[in-house]
Amino acid sequence: MNVEISGLTRRFGRTQAVAGVNLALEAGVFGLLGPNGAGKTSLLRMLATVIPPSSGTLKLLGRDPGSYPQRRQIRRRLGYLPQNLGYYSGFTVAEFVEYFALLKEMPPERVPAAVTTAVERTGLGDKARAKLRTLSGGMLRRAGIAQAIVNEPELLLLDEPTAGLDPQQRVTFRALLRDLGLRATVVVSTHLVEDVGAACSQVALMDQGKIVFCGTPAELTAQADGTDAAGDAPLERGYSAVLAAARAATGAPS
Amino acid sequence: MTAATAPAAPPAPARPARITLPAPARLLRLELRRSIMPWLAPLLAVLFWLTTYRPAMANPPFWNVRSGMVQSHAMLAFAPLLAGAAAWAGSRDRRRGVADLVGMTALPPWARQVAAWAATTCWAEAVYLACVTVLYVVTAHQAAWGGPLLWPVAVGATFVAASCAIGFAAGVLLPGRFTAPLAAFVMFLALAGGAFALQANISYAQIWPLNVQGAFPADAYGIFYPYLPDLPIAQLLFLAGLTAAALGGLGLPAAAGGRWLRAIAAAMTAAGLAAAGTGVALAGTARLEAHGIVIPALHDAASDRPTSYTPVCAHTAIPICLHPSYRALLPDVTAALGPALSQVAGLPGAPVRVTQVALTSVQAEPSNGIAFGGPVISGRPPVLYLPLAGGTLPGQGTASAITENLREQDGPVILSALVGLPGELGAQAGSGAAEATPNPGSRHAAQVAVLDGLVKALGMVQSAPGGRIQHGTPSGANQELAATRRFAALPAAARHAWLATHLAALRAGRIPLSEVP
Repeated sequence: MNVEISGLTRRFGRTQAVAGVNLALEAGVFGLLGPNGAGKTSLLRMLATVIPPSSGTLKLLGRDPGSYPQRRQIRRRLGYLPQNLGYYSGFTVAEFVEYFALLKEMPPERVPAAVTTAVERTGLGDKARAKLRTLSGGMLRRAGIAQAIVNEPELLLLDEPTAGLDPQQRVTFRALLRDLGLRATVVVSTHLVEDVGAACSQVALMDQGKIVFCGTPAELTAQADGTDAAGDAPLERGYSAVLAAARAATGAPS
Repeated sequence: MTAATAPAAPPAPARPARITLPAPARLLRLELRRSIMPWLAPLLAVLFWLTTYRPAMANPPFWNVRSGMVQSHAMLAFAPLLAGAAAWAGSRDRRRGVADLVGMTALPPWARQVAAWAATTCWAEAVYLACVTVLYVVTAHQAAWGGPLLWPVAVGATFVAASCAIGFAAGVLLPGRFTAPLAAFVMFLALAGGAFALQANISYAQIWPLNVQGAFPADAYGIFYPYLPDLPIAQLLFLAGLTAAALGGLGLPAAAGGRWLRAIAAAMTAAGLAAAGTGVALAGTARLEAHGIVIPALHDAASDRPTSYTPVCAHTAIPICLHPSYRALLPDVTAALGPALSQVAGLPGAPVRVTQVALTSVQAEPSNGIAFGGPVISGRPPVLYLPLAGGTLPGQGTASAITENLREQDGPVILSALVGLPGELGAQAGSGAAEATPNPGSRHAAQVAVLDGLVKALGMVQSAPGGRIQHGTPSGANQELAATRRFAALPAAARHAWLATHLAALRAGRIPLSEVP
């Protein structure tokens, strides 16, 4: 298993962002759905070793991120695209990607080719020498994806990766996700259920810090059967149905 | 974007490196490219021109003066700006919102931070050293003797690194929009505080990085005596220690790296603090000597020996010989002192030669620390030992100010010594002065009238040494004034002839006012 999570929690003061999550993920594309404030980003940040969990156990790529040497090994094989991508405006696209390749401790002789490949795969080949400050929001997002995949990660964590991408780019990106999922575990946190339907082999739905559903997209779609759940697409209706059921169970307003 | 795996022959958007640099070198190259410092380089160059180059060019081309300025003047302008720029670089990850992104990378944050600091420092050093090089090249073309002093440059360059390290650490530890201006302001305050502490005679304040051989550097250091490295060594210890402590401190937090890395950071911090403390302690034992600051624990007695040189001389009625550093001033000095010297040449007790000496008559005074001596006539045959500059020290005045000082102050002093009036010359002349002023303490109207007449005739400005005698009646003062006018009105040859026959009696106080021609 590339990701093994048991009873994982994370608190920020009085707020319980993640409340006892259990997950086990192998290679493939895993979609993480949920409404705003469900705890998706906090879970992803823990998986990215940015923040430690408050409690529970977490194993990534067979290693314990609580130990510094093992955390460092994990990070060499990790890719992460945060929800709010900051960037250094003075960098070109290629420099930005190269910078993160070096921070991920890639062997220097592999860096130039890896940078070229990552930039090409995200469709920024003709913008490789453009300064980041001159790029549009969608292109910046693609530069962020390029830095995440430059080290050919075994665990790739993408928080809202398609935000700002145009429909054509989104389609291409889903294809890229499927390709990456052949060798790595790709966790995609998103609001867009069509991304999940098109690219993910497995999907989980989070609400109020907990995973309320985990299965395939087809199984999520099936959750809407026999209900009057709202939604334009079958997957959306499944999403609404699961969410409504979860909130009914806890007494929370849906 | 493409879903395919790496294409067989992709176009090369990022120029592949011909030589594979090691990872730290690649990281440093990237940091150098995105550093803020290239944008600040023109501003630093302008500041250097305003605060250092222009004042340096206004001074005579002495290596000690101009070298001292690259430490004191330049760093006063550079250090606050560099601290601010480094703080800006240090707070960059938080400001740019990439803290999460860089926080999950494998490279220890400390290594990443040191690379960013190194890039900032490399640019700053390059700008500083380029500015210094320009000043030194120009000085090399102008200076008549000696060579560039490297100790002030070493201290300046280390101060550049320390300013960047302190500013960078502030930026990392307190990331924010206002950290950069705050760091610059605090650095400026620290420098100003150091100046006040130095002026308040706090001995430890000698470590102040802008301090070049004391608060009132004489012209002796680096010209008549070797440049003493005692204080620069202590300053280097202090600044290198601060740099190490600031950078080491960044590696102490748990998130900074692994156990070994943090142990190295802790050792670096401790060593840095120890070095800085040692530097301050050494500065506390410093004492101001005639030719610079001496720190007993670091002092090499060989540095106390005067440098050897061949003087440059003007073959006037009384030859004037200067240190070769002052070669450019020789015509001015000759012009300033020539009239007075030609008036006294050949007279009994008059000097047969003028020899420049260092400003070594440094005396400790409780009020302001030191005092400088004036000209002295001593020896047989008498020689006028003349320290140039007097009240206008190199580094604090221009060449014209030095010669003007000679004309208006030293000229009358020489004449007053000749006529036997006590004054600064006699007071600071030591044993040799007794020959020039055989009757110190007394002041006769004829001596004053002759002195004033000479000063008036030579177009000098009367200064303190002679002064008028306090007569009981206005008629006494009028008689002295009339004698002055009479003597000044005489032809130069007549004055010289009268002095040749009456000087001994005049100096002994045996000439009444009525006998002054």
